[in-house]
Amino acid sequence: MDKKRLTALMPTAALVLGSAISTSVLAQGPALVEGNEYMLVANYPNSMHVIDLQTDTLYKSCELPDAFGPGVTQMAPDGKTAYILNNHYEDIYGVNLDNCEVTFHASMSLQQNERTKSIFSFAISADGDEIYAVQNPTMLYRDHYRVQPARLAVYDTSAGLDAKPVRTFPSPRQVTVMQTGDDGTLYMAGADIYKVDVNTGEVDVAIPSRNWDRPLYAPPDVLNAWPIQSPSKDFTILYTTAKFQDESYDLNTADWIYGFMNVNLETGETETTDFGPITEIYFSGMRSPKDPNLVFGVLNRLAKYDIEKKELVGAAELDHSYYCIAMNHDGSKVYLGGTFNDVAIYDADSMEKLGNIQLPGGDMAISTSQVFMR
Amino acid sequence: MKHLKAINNKAQLLSQAVADDSVEEVVAMSSLAGCTATTDPGWEIDAFGGVTSLCQPMEADLYGCADPCWWPAQVPDMMNTYPDWNKDAMNSKEDWRNLGTVFPKDKN
Repeated sequence: MDKKRLTALMPTAALVLGSAISTSVLAQGPALVEGNEYMLVANYPNSMHVIDLQTDTLYKSCELPDAFGPGVTQMAPDGKTAYILNNHYEDIYGVNLDNCEVTFHASMSLQQNERTKSIFSFAISADGDEIYAVQNPTMLYRDHYRVQPARLAVYDTSAGLDAKPVRTFPSPRQVTVMQTGDDGTLYMAGADIYKVDVNTGEVDVAIPSRNWDRPLYAPPDVLNAWPIQSPSKDFTILYTTAKFQDESYDLNTADWIYGFMNVNLETGETETTDFGPITEIYFSGMRSPKDPNLVFGVLNRLAKYDIEKKELVGAAELDHSYYCIAMNHDGSKVYLGGTFNDVAIYDADSMEKLGNIQLPGGDMAISTSQVFMR
Repeated sequence: MKHLKAINNKAQLLSQAVADDSVEEVVAMSSLAGCTATTDPGWEIDAFGGVTSLCQPMEADLYGCADPCWWPAQVPDMMNTYPDWNKDAMNSKEDWRNLGTVFPKDKN
């Protein structure tokens, strides 16, 4: 817990690692270049890596304090500070990617016998001033545990290395991924997609999910573990469902469907849209920044659908499963991360594989990768 | 509950809570105090009843499921109880042979 400063893993820094030098010298490696496009990934044993998307090569690596897991990241809007939910889901850290220095740290457990975890659920405000986390506290007593109500905690990103919530509010349970709108609204995916006023804590439903009212549709099945900040500022959540032929609700004749719920984070507009039949499972998906009529999904294949036609229009076989999808800002390339320790790159138009970027260290596991502009 | 028969202490407590009409006091643990509330089928079968939509190879899914207590019957709970289970196998594809089984410690 004492290791507040990170060290760069670049070869130049490695040359001097053995000598007695100040941590400020250790915390070097190339700063990010303004205007350039990068990808952020995290992996075991406990590192963040920045990939230069101009050249599709590893640019720099930062070691992180404490323990890895889940490695869910969020980039600040300045393209400089990366936030990561880590230390077995209990702490949020902010890291200056220019010099690998930890500039923010919030241990989410607020009392000595409290153990608080956030299940992928944290986000940063559009102005970069606040971090939001839905926290699940459990009180650990000598002879029993007691589950506490879930809470939404708000942190000031300038609070430094011992950040405490500046506001807390009651929160719905079972919230996982979250994103913020340009107008300051917090969108949280749980049983429904909630819309939260971060100043009053007031919770409304932005998109009904478990409680949707779509005639002849079964309730959706949803997996939400990757809060992907897409270049097109879409908050996209995939679902699967069944659509019955008639009111006999016969599962044997139902159509089995993939779709997405989507919040346009610039306008607040929402939609629930089917995009094709279920033929395989995708763990994460993203609408193309180039053509919003295209949506990509990934797990054992990378697949591309024409939303309007509700048709699969392209697919690529993968070397292994990848959990987490990302795309560059012009929508020309798809970057696949998570699971093992390589990022796979595909051409978004041809779906041809363009290469792999091998990461130092171990598995990315369930971490979230992000593409961003510095 | 009429089709389920309680066979261990925890299940009997739950049956008792239903009988006492106090089931509202039973709160889902949401993976927060161990993994025992998770009932995902795990690696045996996918959503279609086959195996093609399971992760490939299985190791690709290993820590993504051990970290958040997804499949507690198959892998140790790395969230709380065995956080260092993979300390000798950071790269699951290469190092999986270093992963061992775990056993609860005796209660004194």
